[in-house]
Amino acid sequence: MSTTSQKHRDFVAEPMGDKPVTALSGIGEVLGKKLEEQGFDKAFVVLGQFLLLRKDRELFTEWLKDTSGANARQAASCSQCLTEWCDAFL
Amino acid sequence: MAAAQLTDEELFSELKRLGFTPGPVTENTRPVYLKKLKKLREEQQQRSRGTKGRGGGGSSSVSSSSSINNNSGGGGGGGNGHPAAGAAAVRARPTGGRQLLNAKRPDRPGKFVLGFSSDESDAEFPQHKAGLNHSGSKRERSSGPGLQPLRPPQESGAGVAHRKSPLGVLEGRKSGIGASSSSTWWADRGKSSLGLESRSNLTGDKDYSGQGKENSLEEEKEEEEEEETERSSSSSRALNGSRAPYALSSSTSSSTTKLAGDYSDTDEEEEEEEEELEERERERQRERRLLSRRSISKVTPSPAKRGREPVVVEEEDGRSGRSGRSGRSSTERDGFGLNRIYTKPARFSSGIMGENGGDMDSCSPRNHVDGGEGATSTTNTTNTTSSRSSSFSFGLRPRLTSSYNSLSTTYRPNHSNHTGSNHSYGQASTKRKQPAPEDELLEQFRREEVSGTGGFSAHYLSMFLLTAACLFFVLLGLMYLRMRGTSSTDGVIIKSHPFGVEFDSTYSNIERDLILSLLLHLHNHLADIAGDHDCRDLNLPLNRSLSFSEAAEYLKLRNKDYEDWIHISLEWIIKSGEIAGIRLIAADPGQAVEDVSDISRLESTHPRLSFVCRFRRAFFTVIYRVLLALAGIGVVWGLMYYMKYRWRREEEETRQMYDMVERIIDVLRSHNEACQENKDLQPYLPIPHVRDSLVQPQDRKKMKKVWNRAVAFLSANESRIRTETQRIGGADFLVWRWLQPSTSCDKMCSMPSKVWQGKAFPLDRRNSPPNSLTPCLKIRNMFDPVMEVGENWHLAIHEAILEKCCDNDGIVHIAVDKNSREGCVYVKCLSAEHAGKAFKALHGSWFDGKLVTVKYLRLDRYHQRFPQALGCNTPLKASSSSMNTMARLHQRSSTSSSLGFS
Repeated sequence: MSTTSQKHRDFVAEPMGDKPVTALSGIGEVLGKKLEEQGFDKAFVVLGQFLLLRKDRELFTEWLKDTSGANARQAASCSQCLTEWCDAFL
Repeated sequence: MAAAQLTDEELFSELKRLGFTPGPVTENTRPVYLKKLKKLREEQQQRSRGTKGRGGGGSSSVSSSSSINNNSGGGGGGGNGHPAAGAAAVRARPTGGRQLLNAKRPDRPGKFVLGFSSDESDAEFPQHKAGLNHSGSKRERSSGPGLQPLRPPQESGAGVAHRKSPLGVLEGRKSGIGASSSSTWWADRGKSSLGLESRSNLTGDKDYSGQGKENSLEEEKEEEEEEETERSSSSSRALNGSRAPYALSSSTSSSTTKLAGDYSDTDEEEEEEEEELEERERERQRERRLLSRRSISKVTPSPAKRGREPVVVEEEDGRSGRSGRSGRSSTERDGFGLNRIYTKPARFSSGIMGENGGDMDSCSPRNHVDGGEGATSTTNTTNTTSSRSSSFSFGLRPRLTSSYNSLSTTYRPNHSNHTGSNHSYGQASTKRKQPAPEDELLEQFRREEVSGTGGFSAHYLSMFLLTAACLFFVLLGLMYLRMRGTSSTDGVIIKSHPFGVEFDSTYSNIERDLILSLLLHLHNHLADIAGDHDCRDLNLPLNRSLSFSEAAEYLKLRNKDYEDWIHISLEWIIKSGEIAGIRLIAADPGQAVEDVSDISRLESTHPRLSFVCRFRRAFFTVIYRVLLALAGIGVVWGLMYYMKYRWRREEEETRQMYDMVERIIDVLRSHNEACQENKDLQPYLPIPHVRDSLVQPQDRKKMKKVWNRAVAFLSANESRIRTETQRIGGADFLVWRWLQPSTSCDKMCSMPSKVWQGKAFPLDRRNSPPNSLTPCLKIRNMFDPVMEVGENWHLAIHEAILEKCCDNDGIVHIAVDKNSREGCVYVKCLSAEHAGKAFKALHGSWFDGKLVTVKYLRLDRYHQRFPQALGCNTPLKASSSSMNTMARLHQRSSTSSSLGFS
């Protein structure tokens, strides 16, 4: 079991509401900016993408790497974060 | 047939057929699904190929797999065709290979579009190392491309086993090459280039931070072209042979992936690059068109120099699905065999062609198939290039070019040219990406550092400045005081005097000096006396002034000569007035002194005080003045406070009054409605009865004033209520009658505001901490500070929280942060357990249309923020038991029923 970051825990602890995309675990300033350029300016939009991919973590990881230039670690962290969020709140 | 031509439905069905359930295919998900499709197809081929075997059977397996590929779709077909072609090329000789290569070209596009996943590069690299047995990993990597050609063609996507088979084929082929003389030459070349490569690799590796697939792709294309031109011009067939497969493979994006992976310095970099490469692929696919257009445009200005570009462009275009270019490209390549273009990547990216031409010329004589020299020259140029390149990583280029050394030196420049351009946007982004996470970390640390050191130095700086200022002012004061208290010695020659020119003319010098010194002495003596008098202790009686005789005595004591001159000097003083600082007092104080004989006493107007005395006096004066000022300010301030307090009281009372008025109106209205339904009730309500129902008994005395104001207000301002007298139960009462006929607008009861509306999600282990951590909570999103009106809405919030946690009587302090954008409320409980209960009750509930969230706060921080909470120990209770904030559905009926009397 991998350890989770504080950011991860913070995100998964409550409904994401209107949080920006940089609140996602693994998404920092640079990646956040890139995602925003693509139109994913809020965390829930990225969640939407995750759901579109039927919550498939590998696919989402691939997509995130393509879209934002994230590396494997960041994308995996983000997808894990979203998975857990969905488990908790969906 | 490119995968790009697959429609969404086809993609969907393909994926389904391969056993994977895809979600909707949108513009965002499309590339992901394309990748997935490719991966699945490769896996399929892998599975089928793996069963066939390697090495000698490689070609057959390749052909079979190629057939499989063709069956499975256009995308995979090209790749599979390549190994077969490659093998044929090796065996058959370059020309045949070239044609095959050209033939392969059309097939390739389909593969490129699908892209390659990271697994390919992952898998290939270790085998690469293992299989190659070259000195140094770099060498292995650099020779990787040489061996790679076969691999990518065989692959149509990612797959470890997939790679293995090409590698096996390559090895087999290599051994085949080795057997022949040409292969020996190749091996020799390889050795010679080894040293060069390692050198260039060393420089290149540092630059190499992540290659885009495009770059390696371009390079491979270049290599391919180079190979072909090489083949046309060079004599070493074996090289060409080996190059041909390489070229073939190079044309495939997978080989680029592989190349990129090979060239990474470390495993981490590799992975990153692979991932980056994957991303690059997507980018590249999207942007390739753009690049090709760009490179085409760049090419046109100097076709001679940029001959390769069109080739490369064609490569790209070919890859993207065009066919038939191969013939043209081959001819062009022939032309380029003679054209040695060496362009500096930086320049290329900037679009300057001229220099390239110059370089070309310089390079052309050098460019020769002769590996060693050419390698050196190109290596040098490559090295310089790499050193010159700033934002591009040319690690791949040197390696690639050095690998070309073994074959031809010509093409390296071209490669770098290409890779430069292609790298331009890919590299920058990769470079940017890699530093990005480091940057983030650095920034964090820098910020911390700055804040730490800054705070430290700022604190000391401010202290230092403060002390300096204080010292300065103290010194200034001392200097000032000292100046005031100057005294002159006896021996001072008096040069200036206030007596005017007359004096000078009347007396001689000596006499004048005498007179002046006399006066000076007198003055000083008097000043001393006055000073003593002023600074005296109150016990000692002293006279401030000196009598005439005493003065005369003193002067005589000082100097015998003075006696004569006393009168004269005093006359002069009388003439000049009080300028000399000596005041002459006549016997009668009120009278002015006319003559020397009138003088009874002398006094100094400039008393000379001791320094201490002076300082003390000054100090006291200052203190008194400051105190006065402070007192004045204090008075003003007190006044202001009082005014504010009064004003606030007024406001409060008015608000209460209005509140009461509204309640009365509500009551009356509801009573009226009740009367509509129930005809037994009287349509009016006695005023005292209303008051007693609205105001609690304990408050009646307090609210008396408010109530009276409300009643007065109603009678004056409310048109819907009429005050009349009725007889109820035998006594006369002043009653209110509601006049307004009930309309629908009255039914518009305000939306229940500030009520709890249910829970959004069940609290389980995932979205709440397993155990309550601290006794302090921060509740968010309970209100919107912008929307709130009035002064006391925070009390309603208090109420709401208390009512929601009515079962939990452990809440000791509630604080509403009125200014927070997030609507924060801070709650402190008796213990962590109580806080946990409150958490469960509050977290995730809907309040006033907003979803409330709760989190724990540290106790010490809470106390820092709310020191008044330190002493709170008594649990708070909701002030009204009527649970106003829980769903109030039946309020109306309850109130009406409660008022249903009389």
